[in-house]
Amino acid sequence: MTCSDVQRALPEILDGTPDGPLAADFESHVQSCPDCSDLVSDLNLITSEARQLAASEEPAPRVWLGIAAQLRAEGLIVDSTIREPETSAPLRPMLVPSSPRRRWSAWWLAPVAAGLVAAGSYVVSHKPAPQVAKQQGPAAPGTSPSPTSAEETPAATSDSEPARAPQPLAQKSDPPTPPRKVVEAAPSAEDQQFLSVVSTRAPSMRVTYENQLKAVNADIRETQAYVNRNPGDVDARQHLMDAYQQKALLYQIALDRIQ
Amino acid sequence: MVRVWQKDLRETTAVTLALATCLSAAAVAESIKEYRYTVGPSATISVDTQYGAISVRSGSGNQVVVTATLKSDKVEVDHQQTGNRIEIASHLLPGADQQTGQVDYEVLIPPDATLSLRSSTGPLSAERLQGDLTLEGTDAVVNVRNVENGHVHVRTMRGPITLTDVRNGHVEIASISGDVHLKSVTGPLVQANSGSGKIFYDGDFGSGGDYKFSTHTGDIEALAPADVSADFSAHSMMGRVQNDFKLQPRHSRFSVEEGRSFFGTVGKAASKVVLRSFSGKIRLKQR
Repeated sequence: MTCSDVQRALPEILDGTPDGPLAADFESHVQSCPDCSDLVSDLNLITSEARQLAASEEPAPRVWLGIAAQLRAEGLIVDSTIREPETSAPLRPMLVPSSPRRRWSAWWLAPVAAGLVAAGSYVVSHKPAPQVAKQQGPAAPGTSPSPTSAEETPAATSDSEPARAPQPLAQKSDPPTPPRKVVEAAPSAEDQQFLSVVSTRAPSMRVTYENQLKAVNADIRETQAYVNRNPGDVDARQHLMDAYQQKALLYQIALDRIQ
Repeated sequence: MVRVWQKDLRETTAVTLALATCLSAAAVAESIKEYRYTVGPSATISVDTQYGAISVRSGSGNQVVVTATLKSDKVEVDHQQTGNRIEIASHLLPGADQQTGQVDYEVLIPPDATLSLRSSTGPLSAERLQGDLTLEGTDAVVNVRNVENGHVHVRTMRGPITLTDVRNGHVEIASISGDVHLKSVTGPLVQANSGSGKIFYDGDFGSGGDYKFSTHTGDIEALAPADVSADFSAHSMMGRVQNDFKLQPRHSRFSVEEGRSFFGTVGKAASKVVLRSFSGKIRLKQR
């Protein structure tokens, strides 16, 4: 079995439904190939983390069913049997490429907003830490978790805020209130799409939404950086959750406005 | 001399006629419509407009009276009653903008009705009601006054929110950058969150509720009487806190951090008050 074969077989292996010879060949190759071994290890980690997320933060099935029904109604997804009758793969809904003649819809904002809340909940609740011990036993200034930590989001790693490195609670006896520095970061794909939609549907509100979006993103980055430095601070985690909810609220308000 | 006078008269007449024509055209464009419905107990009423004010007050009996002022013929009002549910919505026609698409609503409803209001521009106001209220706006100024026994949910992007004389309410407020003013607001749950907006509370925190106010950068200021009965917990991660009350210490999961947090009780600690900000200032002032 080659590395390419391993990559092709990965989904089946991770689903836990490999046949006998395939599993044996797979194991044999992974044990002898460091690259594939790392890949499998990483994917197993992601899979297990995703299961935890699903167990703790998964909305009720009716939420997903409702979203799927709405997306179908809007024509954004169809069953793969309709578009690819020749495929033998399991039936899954698939995205429909947008057509310039089709009426534009902003319903994608709803799952994005829900996703933001779920992501915020996950980030906040994912890594429990001994909060009291952390607060009373301060970490070293500037300490940050490993780059592979689940909390280390791209947004958090991209912000370099040396002037505003907060100290642990017990060490901050009388520090001055630092000036708020908004660190600009490249907008995510969802944010770009969001602003693009606003430009199309409510051009007069584009600047307003863009400014609000920058502000909530700055809040998220700022709080995320603080949480990274003080992972046991329950208050900080709650503020991070609040910041994500603010972003979800912005998406929801836009959704209501630009229907 | 007479010719000059006659010329002035002609010009004045022409200008007057032009003005009169414009005014009459505007008057024709603006229209007022009234809708009346009869509902049963605990009716559900929603009013949704993209642009314009919505003002709701309690009326008499089981009547719902909606008066809509349409600013132009580029907007229509869709209205529907299904059983005990009434839906009113503005419907923009092609070419409508914020001026021509504006519809102002004045609504009278039974006091126990469940109400949902939505307007991007507002203002939104509701008063003398006892049912559940939901008010949503983008830039809308929101005013809720003299409301009791219901849920009050408000959310805005930038619009300031003011609640006055809300009793026994289940209050949840969220704004991204709007200020929140709460005056004499009490209930089993009073919760307000704003990102960069400020939160002001002026009241006695009732006699047994959970109050939680949180901001990211906005300041929080609470003004309470000396005989308040509450268990206070305040913490600003990167801002300052200030407290006028002499708090009785109590056990807290946080260590008190001078200038950044305070915890303690006043009176019998009937209500729980949590004030949280990431970098805003928090002040608890005695009236």
